[in-house]
Amino acid sequence: MIRLGTLFWLVLVSATGFAMFGVKYQVQALEDELARTNRATAAEEHELRVLDAEWAYLTRPATLEAMNRQFLSLGPIATKQLHATAADIPLRPPPPPAEPPPTEPPAVVAAPEPAPATGTSPGVPEGVPVRAPERETPQTAPAEPPETQSALRVMPALLEKQAAAPQLAKAVPVKAVAKASPPRRAKSLDDLIAQIMTSR
Amino acid sequence: MIAAQPFQGYDDNPCRPRHFKPPPCAPVVPEGPARKALEACRARLFFTGILFACVFGIVALRVVEVVLLEGGTAQSHMPRFRIPSPPAPARADIVDRNGRLLATTLDSPSVYANPKQILDPVDATRKLVKAFPNLKSLEVYAKLTSGKSFVYLKRHLTPHEQYEVNQLGIPGVQFQHEERRIYPDGTLTAHVVGYTGIDNAGFAGIERGLDDTLKDRREPLQLSLDLRLQYILREELQRVIDDFTAKGAAGLIMDVNTGEILSMVSLPDFDPNHPGAADPDHPDLSIADRMFNRNTLGVYELGSIFKIFTVAMALDAGTSTLASTYDASHDIHIGRFTIGDYHGKHRVLNVPEILMYSSNIGAAKMAMAAGGQRQREFLSRIGLLRAPKIEVSEVAAPHFPAKWREVNVMTIAFGHGISVTPLSFASAAAALVNGGVLRQATLVKQSPDDAPQGQHVISPKTSEQMRKLMRLVVEHGTGTQAAAPGYVVGGKTGTAEKISGRHYAEKKLLSSFVGVFPISDPKYLILTVVDEPHPDKQSHGYATAGWTVAPATSRIVQRIAPLLGVQPVDESSPEVQRTLMVDTLQGKRIEAY
Repeated sequence: MIRLGTLFWLVLVSATGFAMFGVKYQVQALEDELARTNRATAAEEHELRVLDAEWAYLTRPATLEAMNRQFLSLGPIATKQLHATAADIPLRPPPPPAEPPPTEPPAVVAAPEPAPATGTSPGVPEGVPVRAPERETPQTAPAEPPETQSALRVMPALLEKQAAAPQLAKAVPVKAVAKASPPRRAKSLDDLIAQIMTSR
Repeated sequence: MIAAQPFQGYDDNPCRPRHFKPPPCAPVVPEGPARKALEACRARLFFTGILFACVFGIVALRVVEVVLLEGGTAQSHMPRFRIPSPPAPARADIVDRNGRLLATTLDSPSVYANPKQILDPVDATRKLVKAFPNLKSLEVYAKLTSGKSFVYLKRHLTPHEQYEVNQLGIPGVQFQHEERRIYPDGTLTAHVVGYTGIDNAGFAGIERGLDDTLKDRREPLQLSLDLRLQYILREELQRVIDDFTAKGAAGLIMDVNTGEILSMVSLPDFDPNHPGAADPDHPDLSIADRMFNRNTLGVYELGSIFKIFTVAMALDAGTSTLASTYDASHDIHIGRFTIGDYHGKHRVLNVPEILMYSSNIGAAKMAMAAGGQRQREFLSRIGLLRAPKIEVSEVAAPHFPAKWREVNVMTIAFGHGISVTPLSFASAAAALVNGGVLRQATLVKQSPDDAPQGQHVISPKTSEQMRKLMRLVVEHGTGTQAAAPGYVVGGKTGTAEKISGRHYAEKKLLSSFVGVFPISDPKYLILTVVDEPHPDKQSHGYATAGWTVAPATSRIVQRIAPLLGVQPVDESSPEVQRTLMVDTLQGKRIEAY
């Protein structure tokens, strides 16, 4: 029994000894790694400082100006380029008021065709009479969402022209927008600014 | 010889004590229990031997593994030299209001040699001279064979040079940690930021004025300067100097509502990276002259731009109104002085006209009407009779007469007989237009929430009148060339004759312009002073402020306004016209006067 006890203690002592050494080396290794990382961090920080200074040196205003003269030829912003701010630019004007009546019939004629496809009213030819009363209010609301959608599906060309316009114009009273001058594609930025100035 | 004696049995030894028993491991093999004990002893020895053999075997195997198998890649677990990481820089960086680096501290190690450790001085010399072409091989060789244990080879290496020396790999050549202050923008912020000497002690500018702060803090110090504005201001001032062959120039841009200085330039200037070096372009300029900060350390008789203070004083005290008139048809003779007008109209002028046409006679009479006591008290209130307070330590106290006599009252009314720094002038002028609040000028960025509390020095109404009058000067008066379309510049020109000996020298001028934009809602003040401009071909023989610094102000405004986010307005629009209309004129056009 005593021998067994001795053996037990012997094993225990050697086990703890080994474990202690193992832990000690592990700690040492970790400490080394920490020191290495710290050194590397300091070195990186130093590198960053050098690079910051170099960046500041390379982007001196005098250097930038020389490079601008060589490659870009940009000038200071002239006063006339600052006549308007982004807030002054109006929303895209709605389609001219003269347009809706002529485009209406084809849109309505086209409307029943996609109706079966959507499956909401399959095979019901009464689509035309149902929509007929709506046709009387195009002036107040020229862009009813279902109508445009169906029209759009049939005529992609129309989509390009009108898609954005009715959605943007929804919040704006039609009569107020109708006063805006018909949109004319500006030839240049100055032209566009002039247009905006005259329209206000 | 004991060892030589033949073995004797225990019992043969007559000297053996009686109680002595032979040890159990004795070679004599006893019988019975003793034999048992002896065997156990041997068994223990045997096992201990095996244990030791195992341990040594493990050690031997480990040695084989480390030396042969891992090929030297094994990591040592010996306590190693702690390579010290370079200490954090001892001085905080300085950045501009947009975070742009103005001054930083970089490691700049010096390379030294320990000649006692140099194995081959000839080879080392050859390598070092190849790496640093400006080192002389004879000197290096002499140093390396000197037998000392420490010789500097080169101070303050660049990171690239350090890399090169490392690549040379000469034993006995080592680095010493040193730091160096770097100013990436060189001359651009020289007078504001200043420079440091050896041991990184601040010698000038912010580096000196806030030396303790910079030593203590870790995070960068943010100045109110804007490097872009600094560049523009310096370029335009340099252009004035070149165009009018002037001696020097000073300029500053100030936020009138916070007192922050966005730009401060003094020319000629110096490179803080090499503060003692001569300017390659102008080798004749002295170092002292180039290091002189004209904005804070120079005191000047600024001349007619002082009239804004005379007018503001008279309006605020109520001794004059905008409709008051003064007879400026004849020169004033007082003592040995004669006060005359440069742009003489030789008739009765009202207050707006006195400012517009910069009438010395009119200003003198206005000041006399208000009285010397009041004038002195007013100038003291707006801070012109004390040295300016700012973060740089180079500040000068104003010069003004100790005894405020009648002639002083008159000359001070148009800016002669009193010398102030451009910085003090700018702070006071900002107070005139910003609603009447005098704030201390500062070079450190202020957070928008705690704008410094100023003191009210004039009433908001007077301030509004001053804005209108200063606009009038640019619209119809002497400062028309300062107009920048869209930015509603208001201002005042000033052309002073410099004192030369005991007299004023007519040919030595000091031209200055104070401009504020947009004057309808003042935001920024630009003060430009040019020292001894000479007329050029374009200026029709003039070197006055209206021809030198006023056009420069116009150019500066047009360049900096978009950077500062000032939206141009239509100057002829009714709102702008209404805010700037001068009541006395009763709607009449100026030309009608």
